[in-house]
Amino acid sequence: MYKYIIRRILIFIPMLFALTIIVFGLAQLAPGDALSGKSLADPNVDPEIYEQQREALGLNDPIHVQYWNWISSAAQGDFGNSLIFNGRSVMELIEARFANTLYLGLFSLAITIIVAIPIGIYSAKKPYSLLDYGATGFGFLGLAIPNFFFGLIAIYVLSINLGWFPSQGTLSSPGVSGFAAFTDRIHHMVLPGITLGLAGTATYMRYMRSEVLDVLGSDYIRTAKAKGMSERNVLYKHTLRNALIPIITLMGFEIGVLLSGAVITEQVFQYPGLGTLFLSSVMNRDFPVVMAIALILGILILIGNLIADILYSIVDPRIRYD
Amino acid sequence: MLKKKWLLFFVFMLSVGFVLAACNEDDSSKEEGNKTQAEGGDDGASGEPQKGGTITGAMDTAPAGVFNPIFYEEAYEANILDFTHESLVSQNKELEFEPHLAKEWEINEDQTEITLKLEEGVKWHDGEEFTADDVVFTYKAISTHGYIEAGGIRSSEFAERLLGYEEFSKGETDEFEGVVAEDDYTVTFKFTEPNVTILKDVSFSIIPEHIFGEVPIDEMPEHPATLNPGEVIGTGPFKFTEMLEREQYVLEKHADYWKQEPYLDKIVWRVVDQSVMLGLLESEEIDFIADPSGVPAPDYETVSGLEHVEIIEQPDFGYQLMGFKINHRTDADVEAGKIEPDNWVPNEDMSEQKVRQAMAYAIDRNALVDNLLYGHGSVINAPIAQQFWAYDEEAATKYEFDPEKAKSLLDEAGYKDTNDDGFRETPDGKEWVVNLNYPTGNKLREDSAPILEKFLEDVGINIDLRQPKEMTAYQEELEKDNSDWDLYLLGWSLGSGDPDPVGLWNAGAPYNYSRWNNEESEKLLKEAVKTPEAFEQEYRAKKYSEWQSVFSEDLPALLLYAQNKIYAHNKRLNGVNPMPYSYNNEPENWWVSD
Repeated sequence: MYKYIIRRILIFIPMLFALTIIVFGLAQLAPGDALSGKSLADPNVDPEIYEQQREALGLNDPIHVQYWNWISSAAQGDFGNSLIFNGRSVMELIEARFANTLYLGLFSLAITIIVAIPIGIYSAKKPYSLLDYGATGFGFLGLAIPNFFFGLIAIYVLSINLGWFPSQGTLSSPGVSGFAAFTDRIHHMVLPGITLGLAGTATYMRYMRSEVLDVLGSDYIRTAKAKGMSERNVLYKHTLRNALIPIITLMGFEIGVLLSGAVITEQVFQYPGLGTLFLSSVMNRDFPVVMAIALILGILILIGNLIADILYSIVDPRIRYD
Repeated sequence: MLKKKWLLFFVFMLSVGFVLAACNEDDSSKEEGNKTQAEGGDDGASGEPQKGGTITGAMDTAPAGVFNPIFYEEAYEANILDFTHESLVSQNKELEFEPHLAKEWEINEDQTEITLKLEEGVKWHDGEEFTADDVVFTYKAISTHGYIEAGGIRSSEFAERLLGYEEFSKGETDEFEGVVAEDDYTVTFKFTEPNVTILKDVSFSIIPEHIFGEVPIDEMPEHPATLNPGEVIGTGPFKFTEMLEREQYVLEKHADYWKQEPYLDKIVWRVVDQSVMLGLLESEEIDFIADPSGVPAPDYETVSGLEHVEIIEQPDFGYQLMGFKINHRTDADVEAGKIEPDNWVPNEDMSEQKVRQAMAYAIDRNALVDNLLYGHGSVINAPIAQQFWAYDEEAATKYEFDPEKAKSLLDEAGYKDTNDDGFRETPDGKEWVVNLNYPTGNKLREDSAPILEKFLEDVGINIDLRQPKEMTAYQEELEKDNSDWDLYLLGWSLGSGDPDPVGLWNAGAPYNYSRWNNEESEKLLKEAVKTPEAFEQEYRAKKYSEWQSVFSEDLPALLLYAQNKIYAHNKRLNGVNPMPYSYNNEPENWWVSD
């Protein structure tokens, strides 16, 4: 087991290296840089000034020099300074947002699991019932409605018209602290959390239903039933454990999916997380930030998969890693 | 069983996260709702300003977070800095310069020196006294060697013309002769040459020497007094005291403000997505929508239908244009980054003046204003903001919509449909296709491209409407104009300080993307700022009139429209008096009536 984990971690290193080259290469391929957009914004500023800044920032250096400068300091955890948010270090910017996105991601994942798994099980237990049809309908709807659209509707109905939830941000004012801040945060996360979790809920529900149905139809379950095991025991002791295995794999990928899905949701709710930072950095060609986030996402997805594999071995005793 | 474990696990993770987050919060445990604060003062009759209250404004994008006048770049920061920092002189509705931190001034005979007397008893937000040394320090800072490398962009606008700027900015000397403190309340600016924009040049926001005095210029952008609320120090009527980064920015009144104590207790800026902004204005969660984007023209009707909302509409500083690539630079010049009008190669067809004029007649610009802007804008004929004394509607050729005239001009120029395919051919009988390039990012501009195509095709010009490009990519090609571009769409927002169009339209200007090179224009632009005649505004106005006539006649670009700015605020907010260039004016006079 430990050997396996260490091996997996060692594989990270060449993968990360490849990732840095891809991320850096893509950034270089994009036309323009952070400074070229600026000069059109303010014609009162002499373009010569931007040329001087470009030189000072090393944007005119040969590509391999730029890559080396970037990767050598990144290896020490220093991703340089943002080109748009003058003077702010990339790590500082990311740190400030990362927690917000993580909370939102976990919150929406929790909503997803709490809603999707029981409904999925129920629809499998009573297929073609009213609730099953309802859930199926909801599932298709959830997959079909784009995040931003659902978000806007949620804001208009639940926030502006009914006034139940705040429409934007993470807290209602800078002064809030202590337990009030905790509940305030949750209150602010409800709408974006539901919006973000919507598509996931639909997917998980469908998966859960088909997995449980699959297992319920297998020989060993029939045997157990024939031996007189109670319906309840069959379901919870034998079926669920097996049905959850693919769900766990799904969740491994989900970390990356949640973070990238957050881009649009965070934008609509002006929720200052990694998603909004990523979007604005891409728009502004703020490559130090873009590259750092892409790397971090890459690492998170790798870690997510590792965790999924470990959880696998726990729920499925057939899997051994030695 | 398993399900339970999972649930417990997630609940646990969440709780840990939130408790940690809560611990990190600032411990000033003030609890308050979004909007109302206890309102001091009497209930008095409406019309009498009352003390107290909080208002909330909305902007659609968060400021980048650099709250230092010498380093900020965006209009979103300006929404904070307009309240916290001040300059020596300010502009009135006629755009004339008025006393502000400087109460009076004297300009010497040849306009190379200006001596300003400062207001006495002005206090910085931290209680220190404001003096002439702060002024000297500020201008020294933007002239310092390394300022541009550290990210500053204001030197060409405000400092370049100061005496000794060259040597000082290159680090060749430690002495800066350009700005001198005569005593605590007198400061003199000295310029290398007679300066016709002398008052604009001294209008830069002042930062405190007692905070930044010892900070090396390259560390200033990262300094806490640049980044953190509570540590940003200015002399303005409001202090920047708290923020939830990218969500809320709180300004509190500066009780010791030198003009008068502001009425409002607090002004809160909330970052709100454009799509829900109007909803929040309607539900009274926000009180005003102002700079930089205002209310979009298509929403005007909706907003004007709101009982409790007042709208202010005024022309914006800027315009959208359809430019003609009259000349292209050579590959060698582009490579070397040189702008040498003598080397330029005329762009076939577009360099023909009659073709440009014909296109101008072919386009119904009023229809653009009516349909795209819902009437909230105007057609302008010269690239000078209409608010300026220099703008002269009469001098410019107006190009009323006249497709017949367009056709006859094209005929005259030899562009005729010789093969009856409905499109005109070039004078030497070849197929004639004009390409039109435009960027994404500005919805109205994007929408106007196919309309322009239609108008031009109606007079027989075959338009190749190119796929729109994202702005950064677009600009790169626009700049490296050795390409095959003919027509381009672009918009400029102009400064309010001075109307001089030289930075955009003289032959050597990098922003002159048409690569327009007109002798008459060059001559007039130079004459308009030639001293000593140009010290008289009338003389400059006359020269700019002549220039506008040359511009509109020769037509390096067709100006499509100037948009109006639409501000909206809750009627409970009183005392608002926007300037042509900004809503954020004299906020110390703002008050709320409920």
